[in-house]
Amino acid sequence: MLNEWLLTLARWLDGFSWSTELHESLYMYAWIESTHVLTLMLFLGMLFIIDLRMLGVTFTSVPATTIAERLDRPMMIGFVVMVITGFILYFAIPVRSTQSIWFRIKVFLLIAAGINALLFRNKMRNPTGSWDLDPKPPKHIRTGAALSLTLWAAVVITGRTIAYDWYDCNKELPYFMYWAAGCVDEMAALDLQASLQ
Amino acid sequence: MDLLPLFEWIDTSMLADISKAYGGVFAVVQMFHLLSLALLGGAVLVGDLRLLGVMMRDIPSEIVVRNTLKLFNVALIVVLASGIFMMSAVAIKLYYNEMFWVKMTSLGLGILFVYAVRRPLLLSYDHNTISALVLKSMAVTSMVLWFTVAASGRWIGFS
Repeated sequence: MLNEWLLTLARWLDGFSWSTELHESLYMYAWIESTHVLTLMLFLGMLFIIDLRMLGVTFTSVPATTIAERLDRPMMIGFVVMVITGFILYFAIPVRSTQSIWFRIKVFLLIAAGINALLFRNKMRNPTGSWDLDPKPPKHIRTGAALSLTLWAAVVITGRTIAYDWYDCNKELPYFMYWAAGCVDEMAALDLQASLQ
Repeated sequence: MDLLPLFEWIDTSMLADISKAYGGVFAVVQMFHLLSLALLGGAVLVGDLRLLGVMMRDIPSEIVVRNTLKLFNVALIVVLASGIFMMSAVAIKLYYNEMFWVKMTSLGLGILFVYAVRRPLLLSYDHNTISALVLKSMAVTSMVLWFTVAASGRWIGFS
């Protein structure tokens, strides 16, 4: 049901001439994609440094919340640029992205990383005790930072793998994979085949 | 000096056998390349933006530079190791790719700049004793160089 609904939305977006023009443009798509990737240095770069401070790996002589506060703005600027360019990239190739297992995992991970970030921010904003000055913060902070690093790294990894066609709908895949990737037509074909047998 | 024989040798090396045969391994190495690029870029940005007085003004620039240079070292090792592996998969193609040489030139300049100029100067002297103009031009040079490395690297894929 959700698969059909998502595919309808993607096909509707695909109908816009802008979507096709962007996808087939000589340089525009490459520029937007490069901006998306290079902004990783700003967004993920800042995030890495904040999380590594929370793990007690770097900037140990500087209070943990000072690092987090000073790097928050550049990190958020990077995040906004990545979200905007990400939406444009999705708009340029809506159907294939909707039917990409990697894109779907990426969206789930993004949501998980976002929830973790919100929880983590609250914990940081109200530091209980005096761990702010500790070179190595307490365990619950380190766990949050490790989770954040893992989730965001996984978001980048699944983002990169969208480019690979290993599990595209046109490949021969098990029914479960068709369902997970939202290959609605391929599922219908398999259903029909099964009913004829 | 013609480097083609070197690229031909890489193309037939054991490393190339692995990188060409196993797409999955290549993809995993590429992920490390991308993640370490983010760390490298972050370390460069934080250090240089501090030298420019754009951020972290309440933290001494000596501390910022010392910490970011350590992260930079780690990131550079991963970037180089993963980069050499990725390169072995398409060595001959890269030899004839103009963007690859833009990237290698800026990478060489970037490494030279960091280890021959930026690092010795910033780690051995009190930053107050260095002219503000020198600090700022170093920061801009460093950001331009590493941005060129990353951008030309991305563009190899499109060219």
